[in-house]
Amino acid sequence: MQNVRQISVFLDNKPNQLTGVVKILKEANINMRALSLADTKDFGILRIIVNDTDKALEKLKAASYACTSTEIIAITIPDTAGQLSRVIEILGGQNVNIEYLYAFIGKSDKAVSFAIRVDDNAHASEALLNGGIIQLTENDISEM
Amino acid sequence: MERYWNEEIETMSREDMKKLQSERLVKQVKHVYENVKYYRDLMDEKGIKPEDIKSTDDLCKLPFLSKADLREAYPYGLLAKPLSECVRIHSTSGTTGKRVVAFYTQNDVDLWQDCCARAITAAGGTKDDICQVCYGYGLFTGGAGLDGGSHKVGCLTLPMSSGNTERQITFMRDLGATIICCTPSYAAYIGETLHDMGLTPDDIQLKAGIFGAEPWTEEMRRSIEKSLGIKAYDIYGLTETSGPGVAFECSEQSGMHINEDNFIPEIINPETGEVLPEGEVGELVFTSITKEAFPLLRYRTRDLCVLSRKKCSCGRTLIKMTKPMGRSDDMMIIRGVNVFPSQIETVLIEQGYSPNYLIEVDRVNNSDTLDISVEMKTDQLSDKVKDMQQQERDLATAIRMMLGISPKVHLVTPKSITRSEGKAVRVIDKRKLHDKI
Repeated sequence: MQNVRQISVFLDNKPNQLTGVVKILKEANINMRALSLADTKDFGILRIIVNDTDKALEKLKAASYACTSTEIIAITIPDTAGQLSRVIEILGGQNVNIEYLYAFIGKSDKAVSFAIRVDDNAHASEALLNGGIIQLTENDISEM
Repeated sequence: MERYWNEEIETMSREDMKKLQSERLVKQVKHVYENVKYYRDLMDEKGIKPEDIKSTDDLCKLPFLSKADLREAYPYGLLAKPLSECVRIHSTSGTTGKRVVAFYTQNDVDLWQDCCARAITAAGGTKDDICQVCYGYGLFTGGAGLDGGSHKVGCLTLPMSSGNTERQITFMRDLGATIICCTPSYAAYIGETLHDMGLTPDDIQLKAGIFGAEPWTEEMRRSIEKSLGIKAYDIYGLTETSGPGVAFECSEQSGMHINEDNFIPEIINPETGEVLPEGEVGELVFTSITKEAFPLLRYRTRDLCVLSRKKCSCGRTLIKMTKPMGRSDDMMIIRGVNVFPSQIETVLIEQGYSPNYLIEVDRVNNSDTLDISVEMKTDQLSDKVKDMQQQERDLATAIRMMLGISPKVHLVTPKSITRSEGKAVRVIDKRKLHDKI
């Protein structure tokens, strides 16, 4: 299973910090597929999944942003009650600790996607595979 | 082999130096007493006459001068020569109140440049060198002092002044500058910019740097030496005594030799004014014994350091002063503990952080707060908030071990703290604002 790369960008927790990042992506014609922002009193970590990870990293680094890429697991599940619970139970049953997760658009109106950050991708991926959960590749996401 | 600018003076025996100093001191006290009413009044008040000063042993009988006196006597009160004999004025940066103006006769300028020439020579400079001066030119003494010293030595002088860092690097490369003179914080910034331009120390010809005008740490020295591929030498001075070149570092890099044929140093207890023996920490006091226009006697610098006559491997016999631990007015008292910005800088560099930081001190509910903003390390970025917060806690712990009080550490984005092209502003003490209200 090929994992999905997520870009994390370090930002100060001050007005106007996000502006620069989205402008760079716009100018490079990069589309964001998923976005989540974790914040503390001092700083924020912007996490994004884009349709061209290498190009986005290159452009952000050239503009002196502190950024890095991390492999995460992306899944798609039907957009109905109880589906996320199934996923969490599968991971919990295998003792996989979830650091964070966030939802993003699905492959269709009837589906929803999740980015899941765990410490052991291989273990989690195998558990999800055995539990019948569909995982997405970076390619799947960029073609959405 | 060690080279000297003025071998006779720089390697003079202690006995001969004391004799020279005593002769000059006696003459200087007479000159000041006769020409400076402000100081004559201070001496009269203490019941001291010029005849009471027979040698350097009598120095302790003279009254002190402080920055407050300079402000009170502003602008001409301490002038000892008619203005028609003066050729130049310099002024302090005036960060802590009213500016101080200092006057120079042509002879004063010559002696000052001679002191700077000794510093450049001690850093390995000769007439074959190209010396890039990126201290500010103008009222600030940095540019004029090193510029003059560089001329004396016969270096090809690049009078760049500060600022426009990319152009500094372009000139440095194109003309092959071998020596650079500026503040240490600007040297660090030039090193950072060099790296950002995709260049390495191999792309430039620099071999030595002469850095002063603000306190800096050993850790910062190593960091600058690495980023520019040079040997970094400290230089000390203050506008009140002339400017840079009062003391300078030699190849041993363990403290600065004081040009004591021009400036007699003393170390005193800052509370009582009592003269302390060699080797003890205290406030540095200078007596200018050759200056004509603005000859300050027993001027309290507020810099805390130690004097040492330990034999130096460079062969110079001039007394050495340690790098000032901080100006006594840089010292902050936070929750009753004495804190110098240099201590925090030491920890930051040890922990791999950039030497660009901002210290903010405030008082909340009658308790002092210490907040330190530090640029995060790009290669240590994690997507997990808890990892980044752990880095903040680890750094706070390291600083607490050094200071004995706990700071709050705030990681900020790289390059977001303003770089300094001159003297860096590292501390904002908001308590002072409250006190004024």
